Amino acid sequence: MNGGRPTDLGRPPARSDINRAPRAGAPTHAFLRRPDTCKTAAMAALWGAFVGVVISVGASAALFWGTHRLFALAERRWAVVAAVSGALVGAAAGALVSGIRSGSESEQLLAGSQLVWIVGGAAVGGLAGTAAGLRWPLSAARIGAVQSRLRALTFVGPAMLFVALGLIIPLLRTMYLSLFDRRGTDFRGLANYGEIFTNAQSLDLSGWSGIFGSRLFYGAVVLFALMAAIALYRGRRRGVRADFSPGTVGIGLGAGMLLSFAVFANLRGTVMNNLWWVVAVTFLSTALGLLAAVIADRVKRESLAKSLIFLPMAISFVGAGIIWRFMYIARPPQKSQTGLLNAIWVWLGTLRPSSGGAWAAVAVLAAVTILLTGLCAFGVRRRQAAIAVGSATAAIPLLWLIYRFVGPGVGGSAVGPNDEPIAGTILFVQESPFNNVWLMVVLIWIQTGFAMVILSAAIKAVPADLIEAARVDGADERQVFFQVTLPTIVPTITVVMTAMIVLVMKVFDIVRVMTNGNFGTQVIANEMWQRSFTEFNLGLGSALAVVLFLGVVPVMGLNIRRMQRGE
Amino acid sequence: MTRPDGTATAAPRSGGRGQDPAGRGSDRLGAVIYRFLRSVPAWVLWLMVIIWSVPTGSLFLNSFRHRDDQRASGWWTSFTEGNWTLENYSDVLSSGQQTGGLWQALLNSFAIAIPATIIPIAIAALAAYAFAWIPFRGREWLFIGTVSLLALPNQVALLPLLQMFAGGAHWTIPGTEIVLTLFPDFSLAGTATAVWLTHTAFALPFAIFLLHNYISTLPGELFEAARIDGADHFTIFWRIVVPLSVPALAAFAIFQFLWTWNDYLIALTMLGAAGENYPATIKIASMAGEFGLREHLLSAGAFVQAGVPMLVFFFLQRFFVRGLLAGSVKS
Repeated sequence: MNGGRPTDLGRPPARSDINRAPRAGAPTHAFLRRPDTCKTAAMAALWGAFVGVVISVGASAALFWGTHRLFALAERRWAVVAAVSGALVGAAAGALVSGIRSGSESEQLLAGSQLVWIVGGAAVGGLAGTAAGLRWPLSAARIGAVQSRLRALTFVGPAMLFVALGLIIPLLRTMYLSLFDRRGTDFRGLANYGEIFTNAQSLDLSGWSGIFGSRLFYGAVVLFALMAAIALYRGRRRGVRADFSPGTVGIGLGAGMLLSFAVFANLRGTVMNNLWWVVAVTFLSTALGLLAAVIADRVKRESLAKSLIFLPMAISFVGAGIIWRFMYIARPPQKSQTGLLNAIWVWLGTLRPSSGGAWAAVAVLAAVTILLTGLCAFGVRRRQAAIAVGSATAAIPLLWLIYRFVGPGVGGSAVGPNDEPIAGTILFVQESPFNNVWLMVVLIWIQTGFAMVILSAAIKAVPADLIEAARVDGADERQVFFQVTLPTIVPTITVVMTAMIVLVMKVFDIVRVMTNGNFGTQVIANEMWQRSFTEFNLGLGSALAVVLFLGVVPVMGLNIRRMQRGE
Repeated sequence: MTRPDGTATAAPRSGGRGQDPAGRGSDRLGAVIYRFLRSVPAWVLWLMVIIWSVPTGSLFLNSFRHRDDQRASGWWTSFTEGNWTLENYSDVLSSGQQTGGLWQALLNSFAIAIPATIIPIAIAALAAYAFAWIPFRGREWLFIGTVSLLALPNQVALLPLLQMFAGGAHWTIPGTEIVLTLFPDFSLAGTATAVWLTHTAFALPFAIFLLHNYISTLPGELFEAARIDGADHFTIFWRIVVPLSVPALAAFAIFQFLWTWNDYLIALTMLGAAGENYPATIKIASMAGEFGLREHLLSAGAFVQAGVPMLVFFFLQRFFVRGLLAGSVKS
């Protein structure tokens, strides 16, 4: 670990220890031993914040009002305006000059206190301004133009100052630092980027052959084949090569999802994890949100359902991570499970093959399967393809479950030290690579509400006469949705997905709280934080931040184009 | 009745939904089956609602259980066993070695979230008005440039900002030994001020975008009439724009308050080891990282931290949703 802050800033690292951040698990709790002073310190901070708000808002308002009075003067007293402007510029220049230091000794080069320089600068600038204002009086039209430009500046200026100081200059400096070494002194070119993309920790493609052996991959292939078969069949009936109905596109999307999981489960590393997050969370949250929005549009108690799905949006990522940790707890198999998911899993494991519980489960499942078969037959008789295919599809997992109950068994079971069967648990958080998915579930849980609310508003904004017209033309419910509603809300879906990509790209809190990047769950934002703020590797940390930035550049471009079209 | 998205419930469009697709569903079995099939989506939705509520609900129940109960069994057993307690909440709020000290962390959260909400609103409203109604050269590209920073990940600015707060910003003039101080060292690192200054900068693109969307739809004749009466931009802004924009300002305020209250990354970066200034998110995150003494307080702590946003959410959901909608869909 590099001990202090960087020393290239023109002065010794005065506060070297203050920002050495604690690791996730070991914060500094020294302050807890002095409870009384802490409480007053917190109150003081609160009051400080209030006073700060009052002073800064008040001062800005005064400055704002003052400049406006001043600009109103411009028509009558141009010289006064020139004098005051000159004084302000002079004061700023004085302040800047008084801060000039010699780099090596970091001592002041110029004599005199800061105040002297500022006041002196203001005086000189004011005189110069007065002289200029008297010497070159402006025409009324010119004054008007200057006036309006200065007015716009007072409105936009504060925001632009914050954006420049807080976003643009830091962004440029991060790019600059990313070309230097860990202390920010020696130029390394693109070596930091090379390190990110050649390091096996961040990009490990060695497991590529595993893709073709995974069940996810076979599932994707089967679904793709199914999609192609249906499309070709429908195409032949219509006389075109392939006809893609919404259903086949849905199958294709599902297959793509399975394929991406197969790929990301085998190509490992920080960068691939981040891509996995972006693909899975964006797609699944949007899909689930769309599903909820569409159904909620036509049920009773819509607002209650939507509120409850939307509620996680109010919870912090940290809080959500903690909430889901309680769901994922895995305790030693001998003890009773306190996490809901493992409790269910272990309970399923107790329904061993040829035990009473297993036969009961098989009986229930078989009954449901028979009902579904009847439904399928009903659908065939009524020539309702959706009912027939839907019930047949729903029966497949049930048949599989029956097979599991009769044969190998369902749920968590393992063999104990003396060959006796014991409960087996899932280590949701520790077992790589699918622990990544369990972390993604947390974000999906949060973001589904976001997608739902926005898509729901879009669905309600579809013109009612459009839908009425489609109905009059004889379209049924499904056709109305897929051929009227869905095409209308596609732009909103794009907006939701781009917003989600930007958010997921920089996922940090959830990973840090739940695993801190251990067990193969590292993502770029957490890597960046660890490199920058626990190891103080400025170069690598900045390069990681720039990689994140490059990831959202396409989205920014898209947003700019959309705005240009919109105006 | 209002929906979460703030619109009043429109007349349901479900009129044509009951029709029988086959057109000959006169037999009773067919009618029963179709009615059942039509109710399936609703069941799917309510199943989803239950799945979405269980995690929060289980945390809530766990927060009322004794330490030993939490360790011995799952929250679902407490339905039959009872044995509830409020001890966890009192412990997690009070400060001490074995407890949470969350009360002061909550105050710190307010000390960060309140300035980080008010200041961006003031600055952004001015800028949004100018972008919408004051013509000046370069207005359009300046606006688009600012708003495109919406997508900028916070991470790209954190390191230089921390350096600036910790030691000021200095620039060595190339080829010389002379250093210009661009931003003096105010020793801001580790203070709440650094946190809310950072939040202010990061919030501005979204705030300007949202408020501009709203302010630009205000009727221009209003401003024209005011200008004829001799009002300047300042008067128009203060007397007309601000009162008329209250819904948008409220929407952004709630959005920004929740965002800063729930923020973890920026506070963690800017506060470093200055534990006495930690907001509630960092406090509960560090409790989660210990796996030890105070784990039984974690659920209560998480619930206390989430309490404020949940209250805001339930009482001001309308505004929150409006902010979300305005932020993502151009009205």
